[in-house]
Amino acid sequence: MSELNATKWVSEYGDMLYRYALPRVNDSNIAKDLVQETFLAAWRNYKNFKGEISEKNWLFTILKNKIIDHFRKASTRLTDILPGVADEDAYFDDAQHWTMVRAPQDWNLDTDAPIERKEFYEVLQMCRGKLKEIQNTVFTMKYLEGLESEEICKELNITASNYWVLIHRAKLQLRECLEKNWFIQ
Amino acid sequence: MISCKEATKFISQKEEGKLTFHQRWQLWQHLAICAVCRLFNKQNKVIINNALHLHEYNDFRLTQSEKESIISALEKG
Repeated sequence: MSELNATKWVSEYGDMLYRYALPRVNDSNIAKDLVQETFLAAWRNYKNFKGEISEKNWLFTILKNKIIDHFRKASTRLTDILPGVADEDAYFDDAQHWTMVRAPQDWNLDTDAPIERKEFYEVLQMCRGKLKEIQNTVFTMKYLEGLESEEICKELNITASNYWVLIHRAKLQLRECLEKNWFIQ
Repeated sequence: MISCKEATKFISQKEEGKLTFHQRWQLWQHLAICAVCRLFNKQNKVIINNALHLHEYNDFRLTQSEKESIISALEKG
């Protein structure tokens, strides 16, 4: 076992882990706690670290588990207020087709390449911030953490039908918010 | 014919292979005639492709004193 140096570890990986955690949990104190817990868990289990993956990836694996744990613990508070079926209806008319005012507009994008603009991600964060916390949690677990819907339902203790309503609603809202604040200003 | 509300929901379910053959056919038929849902479908991909890169474009940092408190927690074990 190589000699551990707390100062070196924290200065090398601290900001990196924090930058990953914060946009997922949206609370700087929670993000800091998760980063500290990640370092502590890694520190205490260093003898089990086999070096099969890099130290960095190992720390990220621990952090990702901590983030999911956080969502699981928060879910009891968040799932008290699950949306009703009528929740999306503002987007659609009586025949459940798009209403004129809320229908998607053409964004005139000519590429699928990632948008390499810091400002875009600030708008995306702002739009995520407008979602209900449970919608944002579901969106984060699915599209930032890459979990399957079954896993998300299990962790958050929600039904599949709850899940599909939440993710659908989250996407309708995010899409509209990004359109108004970024793609078509 | 399925509605736009169903079609947009199917789009998310399709990502996980959750549609039956019949539902995929219904979605395909709907998208063939509905330009607005085709836009939604395209924009949905833009959003989810970009969401993955979210943490690469922020410059949040821990302060020196926050780092020091983590270091001292580690040294205490």
